[in-house]
Order: sequence, then structure tokens, then C-alpha cells
Amino acid sequence: MNTCQNKPVLKVEQVTKEYNHKNIIEGIDLYLNQGEFVTILGPSGCGKSTLFNVIAGLLTPETGKIFVNDAEVTGRTGIVSYMYQKDLLLPWRTVVDNGILPLEIRGIKKKEAREKVREMLPVFELESDGDKYPNQLSGGMKQRVSLLRTYMFSKEIMLLDEPFGGLDAITRLKMQEYLMAILKKIKGSVLFITHDIDEAIFLSDRIYVINGSPAHIVEEFKVPQKHKETQAALVSSELSQLRRDILKRL
Amino acid sequence: MRKYQNIVDRLIPIVFILAILILWQLVVDLGWVERYVLPSPMDIIKALVENWSEIMMHTGVTFFEGMVGLVVAISLSLLMAIAMDQYPMVKKAVYPVLVMSQTVPIIVIAPLLAMWFGFGIAPKIFVVVLVCFFPITVNLIEGLQSVDGELINLTRSMGASKRQIFTKIKFPSALPYFFSGLKIAVTYSIMGAVIGEWLGGKAGLGVYMLRARHAFALDLVFASILVIVILSIGLFYGIAMIQRALMPWERLKEEEG
Ligand SMILES: Nc1ncnc2c1ncn2[C@@H]1O[C@H](COP(=O)(O)OP(=O)(O)OP(=O)(O)O)[C@@H](O)[C@H]1O
Ligand SMILES: [Mg+2]
Repeated sequence: MNTCQNKPVLKVEQVTKEYNHKNIIEGIDLYLNQGEFVTILGPSGCGKSTLFNVIAGLLTPETGKIFVNDAEVTGRTGIVSYMYQKDLLLPWRTVVDNGILPLEIRGIKKKEAREKVREMLPVFELESDGDKYPNQLSGGMKQRVSLLRTYMFSKEIMLLDEPFGGLDAITRLKMQEYLMAILKKIKGSVLFITHDIDEAIFLSDRIYVINGSPAHIVEEFKVPQKHKETQAALVSSELSQLRRDILKRL
Repeated sequence: MRKYQNIVDRLIPIVFILAILILWQLVVDLGWVERYVLPSPMDIIKALVENWSEIMMHTGVTFFEGMVGLVVAISLSLLMAIAMDQYPMVKKAVYPVLVMSQTVPIIVIAPLLAMWFGFGIAPKIFVVVLVCFFPITVNLIEGLQSVDGELINLTRSMGASKRQIFTKIKFPSALPYFFSGLKIAVTYSIMGAVIGEWLGGKAGLGVYMLRARHAFALDLVFASILVIVILSIGLFYGIAMIQRALMPWERLKEEEG
């Protein structure tokens, strides 16, 4: 986003997580500014989702701390919103009722929650789909609903774990532009996981490359903003240099 | 074309059953089997019509026992499945016992029940509970445990309590499984009541069949069997209809697929 204020909403400090006495991720340090789009780019299976689970409070790290707006929240759930590669929509609920799930959990009355979700349908280009069930929607549409649900929980810190990983290449490109358009409107802060370099460059303000065993952050890249209006700009010489630099670290 | 195929699919079992009935009627009418050994379908219908009010009175008793037993079994299954799902210890301890309990023949247990609870309605309901409890519980627990772990994690990340995860995610996910179990159980329920009554009592189709058999009125025995079959099938489709009404999204899937 062009309008970054330099105030970190999320800070991860020296996080280490192990499975079966073997460190999966080690000494992870990162931050996410208000309104920023930051990508964690790394090879498959290196521990990116593990890191997200720690940030979301689903896993408690062996060492290290998570701060949200300067308050420590290590191991606490219910603070950041989380979106998975699988849409994980509830087949028995309509689009609107899937959207209200996080509000319901927070104890908001169904009627009020539905109104809030309906207000957001046009923003997410779902205005004519509110009463459909998930199995009436295409894969791309389902991810839109999933993103809507993620947003309904919170836009302050949104963790998106390979949200377009299960989509075909064309839908994927469309969803990337869709996500950019939505973020312009809702002004959320996003931490994004992918192992697709072009996706990372197109979407991000900054990129952390994570790699190794145990996985750690090997380098941080800033993405120049001026060329990034469309995916076609990805061939510009400056960005292709960035692309080569990133590739070297993977 | 698909519609035509559908109609044919529905007709096949009807034609097959009709063929058997005609064959049966012929076998008896041609005198290949004596009437007092095997009454013909027409004899059975006639017996049913002539003894309608008496058979219906006994059916009412059996139906009542079956339904009470079923409701008790559903309640117990819910409790048991929730306990097994929430506390893995309970599942580890109880599940094998549940499976073992199914291997004990009901015919052996039923007389004991009569011994313990007398010849009233209680032992009949007990038998129904015994036969219905297992299929409902096993299906329900399987449904609860097959919920996508990522979905539960997602809900947990939203700060949901265990209770919210159960009511909003796990239980609705398990509903199709629950209904699979319920459809099996409901067909067992009438049979269970009849088995209970078979050992003695004042009323019910089992008692009625026992008396009819002692009087060598095989047409009445078969008439009772016919009622049991129709009642059980009716209950099965009743549950299937409730399921379709409660789960409209499943229907959408069928229509699309
Ligand atoms: N519950 C678990 N118990 C033990 N090991 C696990 C567990 N979950 C993940 N792992 C291991 O931790 C490593 C990192 O997994 P993780 O899912 O975080 O990787 P990832 O970078 O998200 O991969 P992908 O790109 O495929 O999503 C893997 O080697 C995996 O086998
Ligand atoms: Mg992952």
C-alpha cells in the first residue's frame, strides 16, 4: 500500500518452534506496519504455516514473543484473523451466515451480524450471492467468501496462508488483482504466505524470504511501488532484478 | 434421458417385488405348498383387513414402545458421543465395550430383561434402546471426529470456546452421519420392540404374533409381519424426509452433481 504509516501493528521476536525436539523455525524476527502488505516467501514445507499458527496463538512457541500493538499476546487466540488455502466454508451455511461466524463467536446477535455482513457484500463483489450455499460457488468465489469472513473477524492483522494456492493459474491472477482492489478499500494490514515469487512481488510492500532447516529469515526485500499497477509490470527491469535476487535466496 | 433412467431405476425394485408376490400367489394357488404352511399374499391381505382394528391396537403399542425407545436411545447417544468426543479417555474406555455389547445376541438378553423388569412395557423399551443406541452413537462419534482439523483450528483462532466449536462446527458437520445412524436405528426400533414383546406381555405385535402362532393362524402372523415391514420402511423414509428438510444444502449438492 502507498499509505504506510510506520507504526508496527504486529511484531514477532525471536520465535522458535519445535516438533518432536527438532526446531522447525528458529529465531524469527519480523514486523508488520499498519496498512502494509508483507509476504513470507519460502519453499514448500519449510515452516511457514507453523509460524502463522504461532502468530495466531494456536501454537505456543518454545522461545520468543508475539506483540500486537505493543501488547504481548504470545499463545493467545482471537486477536488476528486467519485465512487458509482451503476455503473451510461451512456447507450448511449461506454466504452471509458463513460471514457472520466470527461475529457470532464474539457474541454479537445473529440479526445484527447479518446486517454487518450484508453491508460488506458489495465491497467483496458478492452482492448477488449472499443467500447461496458454498457448493453453488466456484473455487474463486469461495475464496472471496473466505476472505470476507476473515475480514469480518478483523482487518487489523490478516494472516493469509497461501489463499490462492488451490486455484487455477487464471483464477489466481484474477484473485490477486481482486485482493489488491479490496485492500485499497478496506485498508487492512496483511501478512501473506506464498511460495510463488511473482505473486509475492505483485502483492507486497515487503518480502521476507524464509528458508533453511530449521527455517529462519534469510533476507528482507523492499518492493518498489511505482511499476506495480498490473501484473504486466512484473517484467520491468527493476522488478526482474528483484526477482533474480529473491530466487538466489530460495 | 437422465429422467427416463431415473424412472427405470425406481421401477426395477417394484417390478421385482411384484414378480415375487405373483410367484408366491401361484405357488400357493396351484397347491404346491399347503395353505396352513404358507398363506398366499391374498390370504394375508384378507386376514389383515378382517382383523384390522385388533392389529392396529397392537401396532399402536409396538409403535409407542419403539418411539419411546428411539428417543431414549437418541438422547443417550448424544450424551455418549459428546462425552467420547470431548474426553478421549472416555472414548478409549467405552468404545470397545460398546462394540463388545453388540456381539451379545439380543435374544439372550431379552429374557433376562423380562426377569429383571417384569412383563410391563419397560423391558420392551429397554430392548429398543439396546438395538438403537449403537448405530446412532457410532455414526455420531465418527461424524464428530471426522471434522477437518484446519476448520477447528480456524474457529479456535477466532477465539471460539470448546462449546462454540461443538455447537457451531462439530455438531452440524456430524449431522449427515447422525442421520445415517438414525435411519438404521429407526428400522431396528420396531423390530426391537417386537423382540421384547415376543417374550410375553399384554399387548403389541410381538404378543399378537405369538398368540396367532399358537393358534396356527399363520395368515395373522404374516399380516403382522407385513405391518412391521411397512411401519419400519415408513419410519425410514420419514427420517430421510426430515433429513432433507433440515439439510437443504445436501440437496443442492445432489442436484448439481
Ligand atoms: N503437528 C505436527 N507435528 C509434527 N510435525 C509437523 C506438524 N505440523 C507440521 N509439521 C512439520 O513441520 C514442517 C513445517 O510445516 P509447515 O506446514 O509449517 O510448512 P509450510 O511451509 O507451511 O509448508 P507448505 O508450503 O507445504 O504449506 C513440515 O516438515 C511438517 O512435516
Ligand atoms: Mg503451509
